[in-house]
Amino acid sequence: MSESPTSESLITELDELGVAFSAEIAALASEPDIRAAQARYLGKKGRVSEALKALGKLDPAARKAVGEVGNRVKSGIEAAVSARLVALADAVRQADLARVVDVTLPGRGARLGTLHPMTQARREMELIFAELGYEVATGPQVESDFHNFEALNIPKDHPSRDMQDTFYLSPLWSGAATETLLRTHTSPVQARTMLRQPPPVKIIAPGAVYRRDDDPTHSPQFMQIEGLLVDRVGKVSMADLKGTLLHFVRRYLGDDLQIRLRPSFFPFTEPSAEVDMSCVFCRGAGAGCRLCKGTGFMEIGGSGMVDPEVFRAVGYDPEEVCGFAFGMGIDRMAMLKYRIDDIKTLYEGDVRVLRQFP
Amino acid sequence: MKISMRWLAEWVAVPDADQTARALTERGLEVEGIERRGDNLAGVVVAAVRARQPVAGSDHLTLVEIFDGVSVHQVVCGAPNVPAPGGRVAWARPGTTLPGGLSIGVRELRGVRSAGMLCSEQELGLGDSHDGIIVLEADAEAGREIASELMLRDVVLEVNVTPNRGDCLSHLGIAREASAAFSLPLTLPRVDFAALLGGAGAGAAAAITPPVAIDDVVGCPRYQARVIDGVRVGPSPLWLRRRLEAVGVRPISNLVDVTNYVMFDRGQPLHAFDHARVAGGAIAVRRARAGETLVTLDGVTRQLETGDLLICDAERPIALAGVMGGKDSEVSEGTTRVLLESACFEPRAVRVPAKRLGLHSEASQRFELGVDVAGVDASSQRACALLVEVAGGRVAGQGSDLWPRPLEPLMIPLRRARLHAVLGLDVAAPEVRRLLGGIELGEAGGGAAGADGEVLRFQIPTFRTDLTREVDLIEEVARLCGLDKLPATLPSVSRAPARSGDRVAERARELLAAAGLHEILSYSFVAPAALAARGFADDDRRARPRRVANPLRLEQSAMRTAILPGLAAALAHNQAQRVHDVRLFEVGPLFLPRAQGADDPELCDEPWVAGGLLAGERDGWLRSGGPLDFFDARGVVEALVHGLTGHAPTLAATSVVPWLHPGVAATVSVLGRELGVVGEVHPRVRDALGLTGVVFAFELGLDPLRSAPPAQLTRPGRFPGSSRDVSCFIGVDIPAARVQSVLAAAGGALLAEVRLLEDYREAGKVPAGQKSMLWTLTYRSPERTLTDVEVDAAHAGVVAALASELSATLR
Repeated sequence: MSESPTSESLITELDELGVAFSAEIAALASEPDIRAAQARYLGKKGRVSEALKALGKLDPAARKAVGEVGNRVKSGIEAAVSARLVALADAVRQADLARVVDVTLPGRGARLGTLHPMTQARREMELIFAELGYEVATGPQVESDFHNFEALNIPKDHPSRDMQDTFYLSPLWSGAATETLLRTHTSPVQARTMLRQPPPVKIIAPGAVYRRDDDPTHSPQFMQIEGLLVDRVGKVSMADLKGTLLHFVRRYLGDDLQIRLRPSFFPFTEPSAEVDMSCVFCRGAGAGCRLCKGTGFMEIGGSGMVDPEVFRAVGYDPEEVCGFAFGMGIDRMAMLKYRIDDIKTLYEGDVRVLRQFP
Repeated sequence: MKISMRWLAEWVAVPDADQTARALTERGLEVEGIERRGDNLAGVVVAAVRARQPVAGSDHLTLVEIFDGVSVHQVVCGAPNVPAPGGRVAWARPGTTLPGGLSIGVRELRGVRSAGMLCSEQELGLGDSHDGIIVLEADAEAGREIASELMLRDVVLEVNVTPNRGDCLSHLGIAREASAAFSLPLTLPRVDFAALLGGAGAGAAAAITPPVAIDDVVGCPRYQARVIDGVRVGPSPLWLRRRLEAVGVRPISNLVDVTNYVMFDRGQPLHAFDHARVAGGAIAVRRARAGETLVTLDGVTRQLETGDLLICDAERPIALAGVMGGKDSEVSEGTTRVLLESACFEPRAVRVPAKRLGLHSEASQRFELGVDVAGVDASSQRACALLVEVAGGRVAGQGSDLWPRPLEPLMIPLRRARLHAVLGLDVAAPEVRRLLGGIELGEAGGGAAGADGEVLRFQIPTFRTDLTREVDLIEEVARLCGLDKLPATLPSVSRAPARSGDRVAERARELLAAAGLHEILSYSFVAPAALAARGFADDDRRARPRRVANPLRLEQSAMRTAILPGLAAALAHNQAQRVHDVRLFEVGPLFLPRAQGADDPELCDEPWVAGGLLAGERDGWLRSGGPLDFFDARGVVEALVHGLTGHAPTLAATSVVPWLHPGVAATVSVLGRELGVVGEVHPRVRDALGLTGVVFAFELGLDPLRSAPPAQLTRPGRFPGSSRDVSCFIGVDIPAARVQSVLAAAGGALLAEVRLLEDYREAGKVPAGQKSMLWTLTYRSPERTLTDVEVDAAHAGVVAALASELSATLR
């Protein structure tokens, strides 16, 4: 029969197992190997467990002392496992952190498209007016002579018709009564809106308009934005028109800009005024500026107080109501903002141009 | 309207051109340009000939010794008319650049040194004469600038006169504004008409009083006819020619030049008839009768229309009133007795025939904008005085002046409260009086306070035909006090906006840009051929686009009934620039003709569509992404429709869209509405539109989506799903959508998701006529976690259905 272990020899054995385990896992580099090693020592049939089976043969006093050693060795092994696992995870993390990519390679994924610069300009303008409580109104682009001209105090055989060169559509069938045209301004939307609703009216009308003009600064089709504000007499004045335009120009192109109204004539407004703003290039300095030819100002549109005849044509009482209207080219404002010098650029659809306006 | 500063200075002592221009512009008479005449002749001076001798060895060159007021120079001249010593010539100094661009220097001709050049009219841009050099008056001062000597120095303002200010189409009209602007008096040239008539003395012509009859007082409120006898036709004096040249009119003869001069001076168009050719020396103003004709000054036989206003003599029409005179009665070289017409015609009576006949002229323009009926006589008198001065005539009596219904003075009340309300600026009554008084609006009746508050009443001068209403006076006050005086305020009007633009179109733009397409804007009118190339069924109204009656060019003459042509033109532009990977979209209206019985049948239906065009390769990463195909276009369409409606579109193959490839085209529907089509552009259409390579396109109507309901929440399942794959061979003609619907039907309520992972059809790797498909099916219950047994049972049903309904072979 084997020699029964002494408490001393058992303690020695346990301590040696602890040392042996430390040596063993130092060489191990994966968690499963370490867990296997742990099982070989601490599992039910592990070496430490086997060694401790002899515990029962010791006297109670020795059993307690050896048991404490056993627990120490066990927790030592467990601590070694944890430490080793942490070290391993750390090594993996460190190896991962040594990874380097060339961040200057291009990004992956489909490129975004773009909204047309005029769409962007229009939306920005709409937003500025929407914040002031204006409603966006639209109307047909193929218009009747009545809405485009007569309702706006531009009767047939009147010289003011010559101010706008008009595209007409061929009649659909012989004897078709009215003259049909491509609207020359967005003003018919004014007429249609007032015919549809009682005052107050507070709209802006953006959209395509057409004039029989074709040169480096004119395109036969372009975009206008028109504003109309109508309320009872005393609620809206030409000073309000000026303030509104000033607010708009500053929001759209910069707080340092000024507005200048210059007397003019439009059949649908009285008084009428051309709208000039500080040159966006020299910011109003003028001298030596080629864009504004040294004047410090550039013309951006027309404006005025709605003519009583227009109110009459839409069934409003000109004694009761008063209002202002203004119009300007979205093309022109977009060109000024984005420094586009040829209006044709806006209609070519050149991808190399469009990409520049994300 | 061109305004000569020299001319203007006769009316009012204006400051320099720049100040005048600024003042006019501020008052609504925009000066668009300032031309400094004579500046281009700097360096050309009067020179006195000292001596002349032929150049040895030449048969035509003359060596001329000249004196320029300071020193003596030698110049060789090839002209035959070098004057004898003492004569005066125009000499261009060395260093001068002539109007034609010729640089003058010092040269050697035949070994003789020649400094500068003696100039002809043509070389100085003064006329066509190149017969010889200019020979000036013998008393011309040597050394004086030729521009001054020839009265060429002037500054001309190009004034944009708006259609309401016909009164400013004259130097008098502009002078009135300048006089008010600078608070300077107007110098009214006095014509001593009594002196012109010569009293009863021997110099007086026998009085001739042309009989005048006006049939239509509305068309012709006033007609004045005077006779000037004994005129001699010839060129006008230099000063008169220069005046006309300054305002852009070619001098013709003294008679015609005087009528033009007075028109530009006072705004009153005049007409000079040859009295000998006016039958009976009588004038009748009447409307044309059916079938009448008139040969106008330009020699063209004009067909008159009933209602055209005519000037007739005792026998026949001799002029189209205010538009153009007749050839038979015009003044010519042999004219000795002039019948001078000064009249007022109603704007429309002039405009209608002028427009119809394309005969707009300086005269018709003035009548169209309204002439001063009270100024008719003064203009006539001025013309008489000038004819006497420059054509040697004598005025044959007072003539006739028919003005059946003289004007009542027009009074307009102006309420100060209204003025304040419209302008947002309170202008005190004395200031209003001062401002309006400056432009000859006198206060009549004084300020009265009534129910409307303070009311001022003003009498309107006859030349201001544009002032008829209170608001016109308000405009005058605003204009005269300066719009810079207005404060800048914001209105207090509030109205809750009921709409905010076209949300569907805006969202469509955003979605398409997010899908990688670039937005373009194209013209609404396109080439008819481009629309035809797109192809429509004969009974489709899109096959008959509305046509522009007066297009700038044929390629812009048809209102688009499809969005494709504009996109195709942009693609062609890019391809021409060698940009081949192009993805474009446009959102905008089409213009579809309405049926004859529709509301507003002359207008168009303007449905809004979103169209797109894709060509080239898709984006790859560090390598080509491969050529685009149908599914790239389909992906864009899916993103667009899903983004707009929350629902995936249904695509169905179609082979009948004329502009799309019959095998690569689909209709696109959502929520039971067909929106449009997507597919590969038909090779024939591609060629016709000038496009290269394979091109994919779509065109979807946006209007059906305006009423799309908002998305409604479906709560995500809380229990895990279970997936099963099924792989099979299946007939190559069976569309994926058909397989999917069989799978969905067979899977029942537990089948939550069906995804296609593979569609493989390479010949040799699959049985003939078959394709290989791999689907992943996910089963899920909203109430519990499914057991494997349940899932297997459901999946077995699906697999069985594949085999039984679609003859699929499981792999």
